[in-house]
Amino acid sequence: MEGVELICFQIIASVGTARSMYIEAIQEAKTGNFESARTMIKEGGTVFVEGHHAHMGLLQNEASGNKPEIGILVVHAEDQLMSAEAFGILAEEFVDLYERIAKIAI
Amino acid sequence: MKNIVLICAAGMSTSLLVEKMQRCAKDDNYDCQINAYSMSESTRVIPDADVVLLGPQVRFNLAKLKVQYPDKKIVTIDMVLYGTMNGRAVLDVAKKEMD
Repeated sequence: MEGVELICFQIIASVGTARSMYIEAIQEAKTGNFESARTMIKEGGTVFVEGHHAHMGLLQNEASGNKPEIGILVVHAEDQLMSAEAFGILAEEFVDLYERIAKIAI
Repeated sequence: MKNIVLICAAGMSTSLLVEKMQRCAKDDNYDCQINAYSMSESTRVIPDADVVLLGPQVRFNLAKLKVQYPDKKIVTIDMVLYGTMNGRAVLDVAKKEMD
């Protein structure tokens, strides 16, 4: 497997894992485990950065004059990246909300 | 014939991994069918599967699916194996689950 295809898979694997972790964090918060929820968001952020770096590789490649062939896999990888980023932001909000609800419920 | 089902968000990136796994299965003379589906197709395809492999991006569904299908072998695909499109290693994981 070569160049762009491999980078796309690195992006999808990393940001996809991050996205799963963000959602798992919300699920943790739902059951009242706020500390582990926040740990998951943090770990998700670390994995997300790996995908972000892979994506940076694509950008640098283009900036240095090697215009990549944009296939549907690149589009899909970017879509996953943006989706994961949004989930990360929302996961933090959801965890805060569940925590606030838990305090009220007591 | 064994039925290996892979599930990811759209069934798109995983279909490339499936191609690689199919090639390895052919090399091994391993009689199986391997297909990729999206999460929305899961209820249709999981009942007939011998093993279900979840992509990293749908990993968060694992607990839910295990409750829905307690008798099914459902595992997640390792992030590094997925990211390097390691069809050989993923096929071996599937085979090991079905042993």
